[in-house]
Amino acid sequence: MGLNITAILMFVLFVSITIYITYWAAKKTQTAKSFYTAGGDITGFQNGLAISGDFMSAASFLGISGLVYLTGFDGLIYSIGFLIGWPIILLLIAEPLRNLGKYSFADVASFRLQQKPIRLLAACGSLCTVILYLIAQMVGAGKLIELLFGLPYYCAVMIVGALMILYVTFGGMLATTWVQIIKAILLLSGATLIAVLVLIQFSFNVNDFFKAAINIHPKGVNILAPGGLISDPISAISLGLALMFGTAGLPHILMRFFTVKDAVEARKSVVYATGFIGYFYILTFIIGFGAIILVSKNTQYLNELGQLIGNNNMAAIHLAHAVGGDLLLGFISAVAFATILAVVSGLTLAGASAISHDLYANVFSGATFSEKKEMQVSKIATVFLGLLAILLGITFEGQNVAFMVGLAFAIAASTNFPILLLSIYWKKLTTRGAVIGGSAGLISAIFLVVLGPVVWVDVFNYEEAIFPYKYPALFSMTLTFMGIWFFSVTDKSKYAHLEQAKFDAQFFRSQTGIGIDKSLNH
Amino acid sequence: MSIASIKKIKKLFSDLQKARREIVLPLITLTVAPYFGFIGVIAFNPNLFSKLVGSGSLSIGIILGFILILHIFLVTLTYSYLANKKLEPIIRKLIKTQSM
Repeated sequence: MGLNITAILMFVLFVSITIYITYWAAKKTQTAKSFYTAGGDITGFQNGLAISGDFMSAASFLGISGLVYLTGFDGLIYSIGFLIGWPIILLLIAEPLRNLGKYSFADVASFRLQQKPIRLLAACGSLCTVILYLIAQMVGAGKLIELLFGLPYYCAVMIVGALMILYVTFGGMLATTWVQIIKAILLLSGATLIAVLVLIQFSFNVNDFFKAAINIHPKGVNILAPGGLISDPISAISLGLALMFGTAGLPHILMRFFTVKDAVEARKSVVYATGFIGYFYILTFIIGFGAIILVSKNTQYLNELGQLIGNNNMAAIHLAHAVGGDLLLGFISAVAFATILAVVSGLTLAGASAISHDLYANVFSGATFSEKKEMQVSKIATVFLGLLAILLGITFEGQNVAFMVGLAFAIAASTNFPILLLSIYWKKLTTRGAVIGGSAGLISAIFLVVLGPVVWVDVFNYEEAIFPYKYPALFSMTLTFMGIWFFSVTDKSKYAHLEQAKFDAQFFRSQTGIGIDKSLNH
Repeated sequence: MSIASIKKIKKLFSDLQKARREIVLPLITLTVAPYFGFIGVIAFNPNLFSKLVGSGSLSIGIILGFILILHIFLVTLTYSYLANKKLEPIIRKLIKTQSM
């Protein structure tokens, strides 16, 4: 693929606008509150767009349309799985989270429990999730940009890292949110445009459209049927659990709920976000099928082996060229780049807040704490995470990183989500129970993935996996909940009684929001 | 705060919890059951989803998949509607009583 002038112009335009936003945001980002929450007056609609922006990564845009291109129906299983977490967040988490927390979900988990151990655990869960997600995004970004813009891999990774450090350190949550909103609008319009340009060729007749794909795809009519993605019931349930509850434990998503003013706006955000994300997945499905029809037989997009140039994840990009020429290809390439930048910025901010707000301010600073120092720590943490992301991105070049997002979801579902959920709803939860159960979930999720087929066989190249299932959530989540239950109900310490005694007041506040204003500046 | 208003707050809060349960429990079921039903069919009886319908260019699985996406969105919309209509008035009354 040659150098595309439109792509470069579009990208330079995007970077200029976002740097201007960062400059504007930097002037307003003087306090810890504005750094972590964008001042707390983002509207529900804006936050819905920003949340969907966090969720619609380049990996899900290109990855899911690529999966649909390759397997048809199976792509839909992932789309639905990624969407099903949203009603769970809305019904169980969003409002209490807003009513109890200030900057991070650990605020909620530690509301009536002991600060230090809970913050430490929550920060470990957050950082593991964020770093795994970051590596997957950086490696994908490097490859994609290498292919689209002809830049060497390490340059691409460094540009992404440098811009993200710039946005987050200077502009904090305000800049990150607006970068995310702009990117979400660009991505939704770009994907809509491709889908419309594809369907217009079939006069919007869905039957003709699918028929054309069936006639072209080597699997024929089987692309409309479940393939091999899920074969045994244990894997099915385990994957289902990780996707369903993992979303509700992703720190960069949870953090967005602190940018709105109250529980009503938090509720609105989720409805908008679910709408945008659901619509987006319908588009990726149309794009995947469109690529089957318009790309899979066009030698312009194939290498000498008859495979897509790049890999199957490039289906959407090639399709953009097939329906809209160099102009649309350029636009979509720039959008993909923007998407990567926005997502890694959101991740880095969530990771930095785990370090500065949870670890520094509430565990390690002690008597030396001041808000100014916390701000400094958060900026240092951002630069540190940015450099770490660049380093890990380069280290993992050419490695199989496909398991990392899956592992991030498993950890989120096995550690972050259970301690958050039970701290809100279960009176008997104690610090001891949360720490032991949560750690067991974290450790078991990591071990089971490493010993399972995706790492033990696909990465380490051993013949047979020690743990037979790809997805650990069923086992690790069971362990977490059992551990939390057992070590809480058997906890007879003096702290346990105090923690349980504080539940009613906390529950009252979590359900009504009464008390929320007083705490904002404590 | 007077004893009367403490009593009133207790009553309102128990109303709120009851109203919330009546909204959240059915909606959680409406989220979890169809999803695991969908995954369950794929794991246990995938042929059910392979059946073609209409002129043979769409399968049951694809149609149900799209309906499920729409359904998930409708669940969030329904919750938001019900919460604004039934929970918010109680919460407003609570806040008013609390500040009296």
